[in-house]
Amino acid sequence: MLYFYFGFRNTRFFTTGETQNLIVDFAGLVLLAIAETYVIVSGGIDLSIGSTVALSGVVGASVMNHYQGHMSQTNLLLLGTLICALVGFGVGLVNALLITVVNLVPFVATLVTLSAAVGYALVMSGGGDVGDNQAAIIWSSHGWWAFTWLDLIVLGVMIVASIWLHFTRFGRYTFAIGSNPFAARAAGINIKRHIGMIYVLSGVLSGLIGMYFFIRIGTGAPTTGAQSNLEAIACVVIGGVALTGGSGSILGALLGCAILTVVADGLIFINVPPTWNQVVVGAIIAVAAGLQALRSKGARR
Amino acid sequence: MSDVRTPILELRNITKSYGSVRALTDVSFKAHAGEVIGLVGDNGAGKSTLIKTISGVHNPDSGQLLVDGVERHWKSPHDSMQAGIETLYQDSGLAPDLTIGSNIFLGREVPRRGLLGKMGFLDQRQMERRALEELDKVGISVPAGRKTVSELSGGQRQAVAIGRAVMWAKHVIILDEPTNHLGARQSQEVLNVIKAAREQGLCVLFISHTLPHVLEVTDRIVVLRLGSVVRDSPTSEYTVESLLGTITGLNK
Repeated sequence: MLYFYFGFRNTRFFTTGETQNLIVDFAGLVLLAIAETYVIVSGGIDLSIGSTVALSGVVGASVMNHYQGHMSQTNLLLLGTLICALVGFGVGLVNALLITVVNLVPFVATLVTLSAAVGYALVMSGGGDVGDNQAAIIWSSHGWWAFTWLDLIVLGVMIVASIWLHFTRFGRYTFAIGSNPFAARAAGINIKRHIGMIYVLSGVLSGLIGMYFFIRIGTGAPTTGAQSNLEAIACVVIGGVALTGGSGSILGALLGCAILTVVADGLIFINVPPTWNQVVVGAIIAVAAGLQALRSKGARR
Repeated sequence: MSDVRTPILELRNITKSYGSVRALTDVSFKAHAGEVIGLVGDNGAGKSTLIKTISGVHNPDSGQLLVDGVERHWKSPHDSMQAGIETLYQDSGLAPDLTIGSNIFLGREVPRRGLLGKMGFLDQRQMERRALEELDKVGISVPAGRKTVSELSGGQRQAVAIGRAVMWAKHVIILDEPTNHLGARQSQEVLNVIKAAREQGLCVLFISHTLPHVLEVTDRIVVLRLGSVVRDSPTSEYTVESLLGTITGLNK
């Protein structure tokens, strides 16, 4: 609906080029929103995803830079993907240990990694961009219709992640822990292990997004993903996932991402200065969260 | 009472401290199949610590726990469940955002058949159907359809939680304040489910502050005070007054 609104205000909004931009912005946000959905449904929060994007991008880029020209482009990108996933795994594991072993609340634990990961990305990169892989950028523009191959991969991960949350035992336990951790534990669920796995999953997805941005811009930059945390959390909240845990759906989070992306891109198209963007996003979150609060008040009578 | 059968649950000299605070001192009692035992005591008497010890939330410092005559040590609540002991904690029995069926089968989900099942996919339809059937067996009727627990009334929630325990327990059910916050009619339904559980040959540990309920439904009452068992007698030997006196320590 929003898409058509902006389309009628400025018909150039409908062109393939702009749709492509929309999809690209959307795809970058979607995996982070999915990671955040898993975490928030389990009753936690992960503030470190944006930093993990930056760190994995920088580390992946350094490694790829080192081997550039020594192996085929395909192998280079696969290696980078692996490295990024491993970095994400590492950050996720630190989160998991801080939460389940040191018993920090998720907010504090991921605040630690938020700061440390982006800090280390700055240290490693010296503050600038790492690597220059033009071939990756060129590859990133290939694809089918308005979708690049990269978008289609993201779409695939998206589908698997949503099915996994809603139809499997892992997903069921995630909802149960978020809804009532005492009941989940009393039912014999190893909640510490499960929560640990969720943060590792969130880290790996964020790491892969680090690779996603590398392919799109051809370098690893420590500033990538700086705003992603709050954007991803905003998508999840707009999508109706309760911050208290236990309810919500990936589909909702995707809708949240779609609303946020279309509004952000659309505002530019109807000549609203981009500086207004964040204000509008704030207003949308307020409306979404307000509706949710009213609804849950109604449900509890 | 001299019962020659092997007790289904036996505690011998269970002692537990939290730091310098002694929560339980030499607690011993036996419980048999088909018996409802009331566990009463004032706040801080050690009831919660005791049931957490039986259900494996934490371990005793010393003493023995025997199930069906065999000494057991729990590493987690999962172990006690495997041994046939179901515990229903006060206010923590169910996950309100999940459906009735998902709650009944929580931790014991039915996988789909074949490859999908091995990948962790669940047979939700079967779980919802069997949940209603099993609840019906113990006289609990809940609305059909995939309702979440948050959509049920307080009494219905408690009934579902107890039905869940009865459905899965092989030997012992521990009920912590199951009639708390319930109206008279709803409490009576809960007490009826407890009686149904006894008919099925289960042993029920019933923890409650509502003494008339305890006197109505139990066969024997164990009174705790300051972490020790101060009296363990058949229910027929108590009145509300004598029970209250034993709990507070004003008797004797």
